[in-house]
Amino acid sequence: MRRAKKRDWSWLAGYALIALPVLIMVALIFYPAVLALIDTLFVPDATTGVTALSLSNYQAFFKDRILVANLLFTFQVTLTAVALLFVIGYPLALYLRFSKSRLASVVQVLTLFPLFVPGVILAFALIQFLGSHGMLDSLLHAFGFTGFRTPYLQPQGVIIALVWESIPFTVLVLTAGLRQVEDAVVESARDVGANSWQIFMRILLPLSLRSAVIVFCLNVIGIFGAFTIPYLLGPAQPMMMGVSMQQTFNNYQDRVGALTQAVITFLFCAVVGLLYVRTVTRGRKERA
Amino acid sequence: MPVKSSVFKALTKTVRREGLSVVLIVALFTIIIGPMLTVVLWAFADVWRYPSLVPTQWGTSFWAETLARADLAMAFPLSVGLAVTVTLLSAVICLPASYAFARMNFPGRQGLLLSFLATNAFPRFGLYVSIAVVFYRLNLIGTIPGVILIQIVNTLLLMIWIPTSAFQGVDRSLEEAALDVGASRVRVFLQVTLPLVLPSLSAAVLLTFVSTFYEAQGALIVGLPNVTTMAVLMYSIINSQIIVQYGAIISFILWLPSLILLTFAQRFVRGNAISAGFGV
Repeated sequence: MRRAKKRDWSWLAGYALIALPVLIMVALIFYPAVLALIDTLFVPDATTGVTALSLSNYQAFFKDRILVANLLFTFQVTLTAVALLFVIGYPLALYLRFSKSRLASVVQVLTLFPLFVPGVILAFALIQFLGSHGMLDSLLHAFGFTGFRTPYLQPQGVIIALVWESIPFTVLVLTAGLRQVEDAVVESARDVGANSWQIFMRILLPLSLRSAVIVFCLNVIGIFGAFTIPYLLGPAQPMMMGVSMQQTFNNYQDRVGALTQAVITFLFCAVVGLLYVRTVTRGRKERA
Repeated sequence: MPVKSSVFKALTKTVRREGLSVVLIVALFTIIIGPMLTVVLWAFADVWRYPSLVPTQWGTSFWAETLARADLAMAFPLSVGLAVTVTLLSAVICLPASYAFARMNFPGRQGLLLSFLATNAFPRFGLYVSIAVVFYRLNLIGTIPGVILIQIVNTLLLMIWIPTSAFQGVDRSLEEAALDVGASRVRVFLQVTLPLVLPSLSAAVLLTFVSTFYEAQGALIVGLPNVTTMAVLMYSIINSQIIVQYGAIISFILWLPSLILLTFAQRFVRGNAISAGFGV
């Protein structure tokens, strides 16, 4: 590393150039998050008006059956969707990594396609596609299958849409991870008689673990904090936390209540978020 | 006949190999393209009755009605204007910073660069609610500056990480060679460095523009009731779906910029630009 000996002001110029985005990030991410914590933890006393440290907002949240049901529902949807994403994403990534087919590029474009469909449009499209008397219903009807029950306004509908939305990111990052494993490694394993499953479990998965961890973390955080899809496609009860927060904030004008829910999602995602930041940091160090 | 059988073998091998691709393509096409195709068909349907697989009666009779909607006429210029403003601001704020992150030495550089990952490490909607509460105190709710600010947050990671990795990827010996033959620093930057990073920079700008154009959640919670973008308008159209064609036509128009971006997709993937935006 070259130290700035010739021009002593160069570090200052560096700070000057990065000051604005760092300031925006602190003002619009860290400050609101810390303020949310303070606002929900320091509660003014009803009679004296003196603010004191109190967990009463959080106690109120966990006493509210509807809110607890919302939190549990959010966990369920997140875990199911993330598991499905791995089940769908890994085979596709393996195909894209190893296929020598000329059609592989078509498959790649198809898996990337959802990246170019914004959430609100996806919600509308899936209602027309999956809704009762929608396109899928008609397709199944054409094949003689009746008795289609729509997942629209059901938990399944939310899960389908969230998985749909996250496939490109999942496949993209998993494929990038698998590309870091060299062909020679795979071939030599095959030469000593390893079958495909063993190659995947013993070689490909461990060697591309970092990308799998990143996929896991960002999918968990993304789905846990989702709003548009569960708001437009999900059941009215239970709601996912994003919808619950929006209702509390807009419909009930209960800002502290909404912040309490926000902080609870922060705390859960903090574990996963730290894992994500650590994984990326380590990856960059190894590469450097 | 050994020749024939080896040809046959090769053929079945190809069929088997391509067979997987074909099955994948059919499955993915149905699941991924199917919903969007349905929207496009609805946009050009006058009547569509179940269980017909295509519109019962084709036509564009809903187009004039939809395009004449007052809310649409207000929302469309607003969305475009917001996306342009946010993208330009984000570029002005972030691109010099990404140059600094890639090329300059200052204490804490790596840590500060990594700190932008925080934009991904928070559950999005919880963060928006916290920001909205701050904006409430600053009277930024329902204002255009408020929406611009909340949308800029979304662009930071992409607009810093993609250009930073591009600047880092530039071979320094090229620049030094140009300096050696007497080119000025400014000229080296404009004629050597910039052309090399331009594809990544344009990818970052384009992705930022499109993602801002479609950003709905931040605009919903901060913008309402005064600022209604196209994407926010979709919420109410979906929730009060009386006539499917309205939503279909608006979705179709709204989706066009993204469709154009899609044609560039292959190039981004090859350059791994998108992955860099996730911090991979």
